[in-house]
Amino acid sequence: MSSTKSSAASPVKQAFQIYAQQAEKLPPCQAQCANSGDIRGWLGIIAQHEKVGLTLDEAYDKAWEKLTELNPLPATIGRICPHPCEDRCARRDKDGAVSVNALERFLGDWAISRSLPLPLAKMSSGQEAESIGVIGSGPASLSFAYQMARRGYPVTMYEKHHLPGGMLRHAIPDYRLPREILDAEIERLLNLRISLVRNVEIGHDIVFDELRDRHSLLFLGLGAQAASELGIPGEKGPGVISGIAYLRQRKQRIALQTGKTVAVVGGGNTAIDAARSARREGAQVLLLYRRSEEQMPAVAQEVEDAKTEGVRFRFLVSPTRIVRDGDAIRHIELQKMQLGEADEQGRRRPIPVIGQTQKLPVDMVIVAVSQAPDWHGIEPMHDGYRWLRTEDDGKLEDNIWAGGDDRGPGIASKAIAQGRLAAEAAHAELRGEPHPGELPARKAVRAGAVKSDYYRDQQRGCRERRPEGEWLSQPELEIDRTISSEQARQEAARCMSCGLCFDCQQCFMYCNAGGFARIAEPGPGNYFTLELDVCEGCSKCIEVCPCGYLEARDSSV
Amino acid sequence: MKMAEKLQQLGERVPKRQQSLPKTLQDGSRIAVIGAGPAGSMFSYFVINMAEAMGLDVAVEMFEPRHFCHRGPAGCNHCGGIVSESLVQRLATEGIMLPDDVVQRGIESYTLHMDVGDVEIATPLMEKRIAAVYRGNGPRNSEPLDTCSFDRYLLELAQQKGATVVHRLVTDVHREDDHMCVHCADQYSQNYDLVVLATGVNSRLMETLESQTQEFQRPGRTKTFICEFLLGRKVIRETFGPSMHVFLLDIPRLEFAALIPKGDYVTLCLLGDDINDELMERFFNSPEVRNCFPGGTIPAQACHCYPRINIKAARPAYGDRLVFIGDSGATRLFKDGIGAAYRTAKAAAKTVVFHGVSAENFKAHYAPLCRAINNDNQMGKVVFGFGSLVQKSRFARRGILRMTANEQNQSDRPKRMSGVLWDLFSGSAPYTDVFLRTLHPAYLGSLFWNLLAGNLPAGMIRNGHGRSEERNHVEH
Repeated sequence: MSSTKSSAASPVKQAFQIYAQQAEKLPPCQAQCANSGDIRGWLGIIAQHEKVGLTLDEAYDKAWEKLTELNPLPATIGRICPHPCEDRCARRDKDGAVSVNALERFLGDWAISRSLPLPLAKMSSGQEAESIGVIGSGPASLSFAYQMARRGYPVTMYEKHHLPGGMLRHAIPDYRLPREILDAEIERLLNLRISLVRNVEIGHDIVFDELRDRHSLLFLGLGAQAASELGIPGEKGPGVISGIAYLRQRKQRIALQTGKTVAVVGGGNTAIDAARSARREGAQVLLLYRRSEEQMPAVAQEVEDAKTEGVRFRFLVSPTRIVRDGDAIRHIELQKMQLGEADEQGRRRPIPVIGQTQKLPVDMVIVAVSQAPDWHGIEPMHDGYRWLRTEDDGKLEDNIWAGGDDRGPGIASKAIAQGRLAAEAAHAELRGEPHPGELPARKAVRAGAVKSDYYRDQQRGCRERRPEGEWLSQPELEIDRTISSEQARQEAARCMSCGLCFDCQQCFMYCNAGGFARIAEPGPGNYFTLELDVCEGCSKCIEVCPCGYLEARDSSV
Repeated sequence: MKMAEKLQQLGERVPKRQQSLPKTLQDGSRIAVIGAGPAGSMFSYFVINMAEAMGLDVAVEMFEPRHFCHRGPAGCNHCGGIVSESLVQRLATEGIMLPDDVVQRGIESYTLHMDVGDVEIATPLMEKRIAAVYRGNGPRNSEPLDTCSFDRYLLELAQQKGATVVHRLVTDVHREDDHMCVHCADQYSQNYDLVVLATGVNSRLMETLESQTQEFQRPGRTKTFICEFLLGRKVIRETFGPSMHVFLLDIPRLEFAALIPKGDYVTLCLLGDDINDELMERFFNSPEVRNCFPGGTIPAQACHCYPRINIKAARPAYGDRLVFIGDSGATRLFKDGIGAAYRTAKAAAKTVVFHGVSAENFKAHYAPLCRAINNDNQMGKVVFGFGSLVQKSRFARRGILRMTANEQNQSDRPKRMSGVLWDLFSGSAPYTDVFLRTLHPAYLGSLFWNLLAGNLPAGMIRNGHGRSEERNHVEH
């Protein structure tokens, strides 16, 4: 396929020509994102808005539309996501990763403040007949319902509690996610053709098979609401509560008695949230974890914040007994642990140090060790395993799909991804279309292809937070603040656009052969055409391209 | 005397109308230099020096998006990388001393290759040697060596003087009332009292400006070819020696071809009128070229490009608050581009500091240099035209080979042909000088004799013998 010009070239010359081509690559942020979010895409709309003739406001609107094609809850996810996207950001080692999370949150709040509607699906006919039932209203269910509703299906969502949102509603404290934000995002979502049936518990108010008859297709977004117990003597009785129950009661503002000295057992995010919540009730809180700090699954920033708030940590201890004085808890007995051999996942297993125990005087114990789905009422779907076992796309059996924590624990972004992928596959099945399958495999950006020294230094926008002194004194107020429009513009401009043109114009300016031509109506990521026949094969453009978009054509083609 | 001029000007300047800004540099004047190749860097260096001497504090910003520390074409300014000794000396008088790690190799002789034989021309007494440098940071994928890019060295020199480097790509320059506005690809834009354009002819900026302003005509360009062969220091020392190998071959449109040893690499440089595939094919297939390489085969190329060169000056090379220097303005035909960058940079700096930044100032004090370069280039065309005649005539080649070889073998003889060739290859002397020397009766007489003698059967015995033997030796 080489050009007529190059085929006539001398053999000597032919041997070393490196012809260029334009090829979009998979950026590291998207590769890392649990929901495969097109982060570079929506950042690019903001960063390049002047180049494509958009005002900044229009750019924010458009960026929000692009973002919400995959995630209907950006204001929520922008607050709670541990943002793995930022971990591999090409900017990370230069002057700090782009604050994707803060930008997502900004766009979410932007849309709420401007009452932007969610975008309908582009290829949808608008009206489909099949009735869709969704059990649960957590992130996976909301995502599934959204993707079906925007494709034109009537969706009915069944929620056990009065308020929708699942774990987002019940387990995430207000200081991390204000309920007004979640309310606004869910309300906007329900404005699509989604009817919410509240206070319906499957197996209690309605049987599962009836729902099956009522709807053409069912989605199970049950979550993992059953908390595991420690299984130690003294656990049953007052003063011992699961992390999830404690958080739920606090969120529902049910009057609860938090002890003066509270031990929280566990090292995940629920444990941290429970510990910080208990601090807000004025308790002395000690978090007990059986491994070391490095092995804690909780988000590092949350752990830091918990420390700031005065939560104390004790690592390498495991509770063995809760000793009571009548009903009241007197103390908790701890077994000292040490790290042993690595398990299958490579995490070193904690093993007891024989003979080393201690007593810790506490009057309340919050157990946040792990959670599993509550199968009550869903027995027909439970095959005895801890989690639902589905196909990769979430298909459980004919016309039954599932997603979220009932398929195994994960971050909210992952639940949203599972809801979306299930909807895409279910839609294709209902319409008799080919399975959407995996995204077409795109080459990742080659290490070293992004030339970070091309980009001007600009420090990562610092996070806006309330002063630490106010954290506990105003316990429900959110700690982080949303960045300003100007900060968002600057932060988005830090994106290096790994693997996609951002109009740096170097190829255009430096190509000796004049092979690059401007596109008359450019769009983000789309600015130049490359005339392959003109290319002289010197590879200068490939080497000056700072983002790795230009690459060598395979000469064997 | 310059000071007197300046004082006189200052006296004139003060009472003038306040409405429009003066077209002279003031304290705090801002100068944008677009492109930080040798012309841009040397201009920045000179202008700060001269302004300082006048007690003026000017801000110089050099726009250069690329980093000369990158290897391969991305960090390179595409040229053969020859700095003649006369230029090395002239730079030294300016306080610019090329350090050892910039000079890849001192070139001590030229070896002229022709079908009729080859001859080595040793350095004339007055000119000790020339320096081979890398404009960028060496060829693509090359090993990091303890070497430094020539352009980067000059850039750092300008930075040390106080110029700022702005890593932005300039996409537009236009005039607005009393200032020039510089616009960049990242939407950055800023006003300046003077814009010095030093992008060279391998950037599209000149083209954009020409089509937008219709104020001037950008330089005429032609396509050349430069590549690098990795052979290793040892092989290069044995095969090429400290010599630049020049070819006089009967290939139409090829005006100059040279192999320049540099460290572990040899740079090939083909100049002429639109170097294309067919020409390159003929060049690589000619035995004179093949025989230069070990084993007679052309090795794989490590790095190559097709840079454009300036073959016709920009017209005019200035405007109000705007001046083109180096290849963007006027340069010498085929040779000594860095020397021309030095001369135009210095003349432009002098003009803006001691006279002003108006079109009239440039016309009076900068244009004469451009004109002189252009006129000399006209002579250069005549000289290269003779070269083409020689390329086509085996008869003439024999005569030249004989004359040069005899001059080289006998140290007491005046080296008329050697001198002409040396200056032609190195670009050390103006083309007009070279041309005038070829009109010298002694040169003509000697050439006539050698044409006769060289074309007699016996005349061929001596020529080129030693070198081919030597090469056979290396092949073992």
